[in-house]
Amino acid sequence: MEAILFYILSAVTLIGTLCAITARQAVRAIVYLVTSFFSLALIFYLLGAPLVAAFEVIIYAGAIMVLFMFVIMMLDLGHPEKLTFPKIRDWWPAVLLLAVIAGSILILAVSREPATAPGFTAITVREFSQALFKRYGVAVEIISMQLLFALVGALYLGRRR
Amino acid sequence: MIIPFYHVLILASLLFGMGLACVVAWRTNVIMMLIGIEIMLNSVMLTFVEGSARWGIADGQLFALMLIALTSAEVSLALAMVVYLHRRKQSVNTDDYGSMNG
Amino acid sequence: MTLYLALMLLFPLLGGTVSALAGRKLPRRLVEAGVCAAVWASFVCAVLAAASYRGPVSVEFGRWLSAFDLQAPIHLYLDPLSLSLSVMICFVCGLIHVYSVYYMADQADYARFFALLNLFVFAMLTLILAENLPLLYLGWEGVGLCSYLLVGFWYTDSNNATAGRKAFITTRIGDTALLVGIAWLFQLFGTFSIPQINGMGFLLPHGIVTAIGILFLVGAMGKSAQVPLMVWLPDAMAGPTPVSAMIHAATMVTAGVYLLSRMFPFIGGSAVTCAAIAITGGITAFYGATCALAQRDLKKVLAFSTISQIGYMMLGVGAGAITAATFHLLVHAFFKALLFLGAGCVITAMHHEQDIYKMGGLKDRLPLTFWPFLAGAACLAGIPLTGGFFSKDSILAAVFLKEGTLYTSLYLLALLTALLTSYYSFRLIYLVFFGSQVHVHTHGELKVMQWVLVPLALLGLFGGVLDLPGYLGGGFLDSFFGHQAGGEVGHSAAQEVALQGVAATLAIFGLLAAHWRYGGKSRVDRVRESSTRPSPLYAFLLNGWYFDRLYHAILIRPYEYLSGILWEKVDEGVIDDSLDGMSSGLGITGRWLGRWSTGKVSLYILSFAAGGAVVLGYLAWLTL
Repeated sequence: MEAILFYILSAVTLIGTLCAITARQAVRAIVYLVTSFFSLALIFYLLGAPLVAAFEVIIYAGAIMVLFMFVIMMLDLGHPEKLTFPKIRDWWPAVLLLAVIAGSILILAVSREPATAPGFTAITVREFSQALFKRYGVAVEIISMQLLFALVGALYLGRRR
Repeated sequence: MIIPFYHVLILASLLFGMGLACVVAWRTNVIMMLIGIEIMLNSVMLTFVEGSARWGIADGQLFALMLIALTSAEVSLALAMVVYLHRRKQSVNTDDYGSMNG
Repeated sequence: MTLYLALMLLFPLLGGTVSALAGRKLPRRLVEAGVCAAVWASFVCAVLAAASYRGPVSVEFGRWLSAFDLQAPIHLYLDPLSLSLSVMICFVCGLIHVYSVYYMADQADYARFFALLNLFVFAMLTLILAENLPLLYLGWEGVGLCSYLLVGFWYTDSNNATAGRKAFITTRIGDTALLVGIAWLFQLFGTFSIPQINGMGFLLPHGIVTAIGILFLVGAMGKSAQVPLMVWLPDAMAGPTPVSAMIHAATMVTAGVYLLSRMFPFIGGSAVTCAAIAITGGITAFYGATCALAQRDLKKVLAFSTISQIGYMMLGVGAGAITAATFHLLVHAFFKALLFLGAGCVITAMHHEQDIYKMGGLKDRLPLTFWPFLAGAACLAGIPLTGGFFSKDSILAAVFLKEGTLYTSLYLLALLTALLTSYYSFRLIYLVFFGSQVHVHTHGELKVMQWVLVPLALLGLFGGVLDLPGYLGGGFLDSFFGHQAGGEVGHSAAQEVALQGVAATLAIFGLLAAHWRYGGKSRVDRVRESSTRPSPLYAFLLNGWYFDRLYHAILIRPYEYLSGILWEKVDEGVIDDSLDGMSSGLGITGRWLGRWSTGKVSLYILSFAAGGAVVLGYLAWLTL
């Protein structure tokens, strides 16, 4: 049951992403991407990471994508005729790279597959939180400072002169 | 959970390759390049979460969470830069930004 | 004795250092008085040391070079040889210092001159008194350096500077050989001490003694201007005349003779080396005399005569007659200093004219120069009963008494040289002092300069009493050096008288020949001839047998050619061009690669991704 669900979600993710990167308009790409991220969040949930799944939906599909949308609208890029879609010349190195990288990782992943799969253990929220705030307290502080810096930087770049 | 480990990895690698293809192909639109970067980061997060699930350690999920935080910082700065550049050049085509020409 | 030795060295060093450092700030009279006082104080010390001399003294003052088993302390050694030479050097140099004060009266750069003179005395005394070879070498190089600086004293004229360099470079060839010899001796014996080395010479195989002896001979050739390294001495006359008198006639050039005499107990062990020394001396004596026959420059005549006389000393050393060689060295120092100082007077009086054909009639105008100069020329020519006669005769006798064809032919060569010597000495006298009057200018300084000549003339004339031949009661030097090594063969009074008779006859014959050719009326003809083009033989002698041209052709030209090739072909053609090519190649490559950095982000990303793809692909390929 879960496996079937995973494959369906995988297909949705891949198709959503493919549509997103080939969309002619940035706004459509954002919408496809939101779809893709939702199914990815579900995959996270299936993999026993409910918190990450929730953050994926809230921050990625919610905040970040909305931020993209804001910028697109602010820059008035809503006119698809103004934007040039990548030509074939631009696509073939991309496809080649995709093939090489995906193929390489696939080969590596398959060849390193251990004989016996270890047992799956779900990680509880308590465990997660304790690890986060006990062992990685410093990292949390650093990330918060980094967010602050990003905020300052964004304000600096965005001010009108 | 009976999904083989490498199936998830294949999904992640395909996602990563798509993101990379997006970045490489969409040279005319810097916003699409950023979207490609987001896709790649998501595939990395998928790998972390999968690893966390496989070995039963919370660290992978933690790193996924930190990646989200990092990404939000990155995106906010990058988009601010896009706004700034667009204000200067009236363009989002990266080939128009040639001031790093050596 | 320790005190005397130390002070003897320290006075000139102090005088030289003070006048070098502070000479320009001090009043001129003070500097002049100071440097003269330093040398005369040295002389007093030398005389006191001589008075209290009882036997060889060896004094160590301190450590100088000391590393592992290499020991070269500041160690002085006083024996009859070094004692007699140091007394002579202090005396002659003292007189020349006094003379220089007046000779250089109109020169602005007196501080440098007197500092160098004093340092020269210091270096020469170090050379003489050194107990070990490195200290001797220090003095050896010190006199070489002072000589170089003084030959080029008027360095603004490029000829003088070139002459200085020539002297320095030529003597360097000999110095190198000497240094090799010293290092070899150290390697053999593990010590530098000269008395020890002299005592151990018999332990070595014959061949090694010969080789080291030849190396020392080459060193002496350079310093003493012997064939084939004699080309520097005539040119060294570019220096001020007192310098020529002091360095290039009386003292420094005899350092080679001194070195060989000092090391004679060692190198005398090889008959081959002795023969080489004797041949060098004989040929040099002949060479110098023939060249002196044709010279027109007053100082160059004296320079070639110096070469010739030092050749005699070398001949004496080669014949094993150390006493005779030292005797001639001492007497020669007196009369050659006298001749040079007299020449200095003449040159000053003639407004720095040095061509002897343009002089004449100075006998009446400068009597006080003429008579001492005549005495000096008589000594040089070996006119009987002068000092030069006895000293030269003792060398000739020693050579005659050596058995063998080689020494007999050298004796004949030396006799011929003696004839030539007498001839050119009186040629000089007739040309400079006789004949028609020319204008001279005398002033107060010249008077004092002339008075300096008198004591030297007396010493030259009566220097013979230092070592009278056996039938006249025996010599002082002979008994003084009695215990010194040197295989001098005893000879009978009759033989001695006969030999002296031959030498005297030749000297007088030379005098008569000179009188016939240059005296009286024929002098006018000679002067007239001199303005015409010289005959080939005359030009050959005038140019010193064309040795300069020979060296130029066989050494300097190939060297310049080789340098040219190394410069233009190797340095510029290979090294520079390859470096240029490499740098321009790198530059082209860099510019070509630089086109990659277009400033377009997309290209960078593509390159980056391609690199990552290559790495991943490689890893995957490894796995397959």
